[in-house]
Amino acid sequence: MSSRRSSRSRQSGSSRISDDQISDLVSKLQHLIPELRRRRSDKVSASKVLQETCNYIRNLHREVDDLSDRLSELLASTDDNSAEAAIIRSLLNY
Amino acid sequence: MASADKLINTDVPEKDVFALHFLRSLSNLRTQNPLNSPDKSIDRVRKIKKAAYVSMARAAGGNSRLWSRALLRRAAKDDNKSVRFSRRKRKVTWKISSKRRRSNQRAPVVEEAAERLRNLVPGGGGMETSKLMEETAHYIKCLSMQVKVMQCLVDGLSQK
Repeated sequence: MSSRRSSRSRQSGSSRISDDQISDLVSKLQHLIPELRRRRSDKVSASKVLQETCNYIRNLHREVDDLSDRLSELLASTDDNSAEAAIIRSLLNY
Repeated sequence: MASADKLINTDVPEKDVFALHFLRSLSNLRTQNPLNSPDKSIDRVRKIKKAAYVSMARAAGGNSRLWSRALLRRAAKDDNKSVRFSRRKRKVTWKISSKRRRSNQRAPVVEEAAERLRNLVPGGGGMETSKLMEETAHYIKCLSMQVKVMQCLVDGLSQK
């Protein structure tokens, strides 16, 4: 199977991630989440960022669900609403 | 990975990489089971959803990221549900035991939120908090790429 991944976690004392890098990651996450991107101030706490991240991920999962649903319907439909749609369907073997 | 200056990379491939993987995956869905036409819509949806996640994981780098590796393993496990002996053997996972993981604890309120995040990000359960955040950033970027690709496809199919 695949090799063990880096043993950073085992050497808990010697190879800590610095707090700087943590806050860098937090701000990276903050930047990615639409909700928090508007509030450009650094007043957003790390736990708030993580919380919003959870919500954002759940929303994205839900979107994937919805889009899968719609795709399934659209691919199976036989309405010839446009040439483009027909082409896409035939490319995908439907 | 050097311990002194860890490079935290959260770059994701371009959208067309995701599109290519997804389209390929979708077209394979139909050619895989020629005798077994999935007439039930719920099966179709489930297969499309799975294709979306698997192709996203592959586009994102397959085994080179922790979350995509975990996702692909999970998907492969689902496919091999009929394999019975896997229960007897103790599988070797590369999850860190929670005891070891706790040695890098942050503030408790952060850890609480991180715990919820662990349940959402594939493979999160074995990750130390800072690694979890890095993987999360990458995961979010890939998820939103995948959503964009699927939206484009839906738009293309709904054109009048």
